[in-house]
Amino acid sequence: MSTDDHLSLDPPEPDDTVDGVSVDRLSDYLDAGRTPRDATIEGSAACRLYLQSLARVRELSRASLEHEAARRPDRDGAWIDGLLDSIRREVVRGREIPISHPDAGVRLSVTEAAARGLVRRAGDAQPGVVLGSTSFEGDLSTAGADVAVRVTAAARYGLDLGAVADELRARITEALTRHTGLTVTRVDVLVDDVFVAGEDDR
Amino acid sequence: MLAAADATLAVRARDGDVHAYEVIARRHGPLMRVYAARLLGSELESDDVVQDAFLTAWRRLADLDDPSRVRNWLMRIVSNKAVDRLRVRRDHDDVDRLEVSAPRHETPERVVEARLQLDAMWAALDKLPLDQRRCWLLRETADYSYADIAEALDLPVSTVRGKIARARTFLITEMEAWR
Repeated sequence: MSTDDHLSLDPPEPDDTVDGVSVDRLSDYLDAGRTPRDATIEGSAACRLYLQSLARVRELSRASLEHEAARRPDRDGAWIDGLLDSIRREVVRGREIPISHPDAGVRLSVTEAAARGLVRRAGDAQPGVVLGSTSFEGDLSTAGADVAVRVTAAARYGLDLGAVADELRARITEALTRHTGLTVTRVDVLVDDVFVAGEDDR
Repeated sequence: MLAAADATLAVRARDGDVHAYEVIARRHGPLMRVYAARLLGSELESDDVVQDAFLTAWRRLADLDDPSRVRNWLMRIVSNKAVDRLRVRRDHDDVDRLEVSAPRHETPERVVEARLQLDAMWAALDKLPLDQRRCWLLRETADYSYADIAEALDLPVSTVRGKIARARTFLITEMEAWR
């Protein structure tokens, strides 16, 4: 009934040794990054050659999958659309942030997720910056409350990071103040990645 | 953003940025699908498995410790999903027997040696018996330990070692000409 052959025992590998060292041992040695150094193995040209072949076959295994994948990007659309539909249905909106309005009868709010989106957009709009994570600290559920914002960002190589952070703070503060009414007391910017010009697609 | 690093995209996705996740899916999805198809021996199921894996990954982004390794992390989830699929099959029928070799996409202008080598490797993987190929890919592509593979495929560890040894020998021999 089962096609898997776990009932039949595999015959032992015949003579699978290189210069007297079993290939299993060579494989484990390669897995361990060739450390600690094994003098028997490293002292044998045949073993070193085998390690080289094995490393190559491993590398090629992975590379051949990538090569094949790159060759057929055409079949992609459908499953990604399906995936995104499912995901959008379950995006966590987070806390509601009330927005004060002069007319007491009007109740406005934005979600925390939307506020994060605002911060990301403000950051991405700055040339040479791709925003990373965004978090808020403070009582978001009170209109106009004090809030501290913490973001991470990648910046283009060569930019003055101090100036990048200052501009980012200003942009984020402006966006949040204008659209959410929150009182932004602080924006902590951590530039945790640098990219080379040209990788930036904008 | 299309050029943003994996780590940047992953932390944004973790914050709920669907677009960032879409970029990740488009970037790594094709590889995951090829990989899943090789693992399952079927292209029919691989799309399902990969879509399911990406959905699970989205829900679990908070568990991703090192966002720069999002690709390996996805690979692992795809592997687990594919293995689940194999388990279901094992309980039911002999679908494994139905494997049809993946169609080869031949193109005329194969001039570069590196590409030829990759094609040769692809063909060699194709020639491996499915069980050996599975063990090999789980070990070498998804970083499963021997014990993980044994558990996933419901085989004794010694059998897994044997299959990987045979796959190794076969692949090295097949690729000998390309040295």
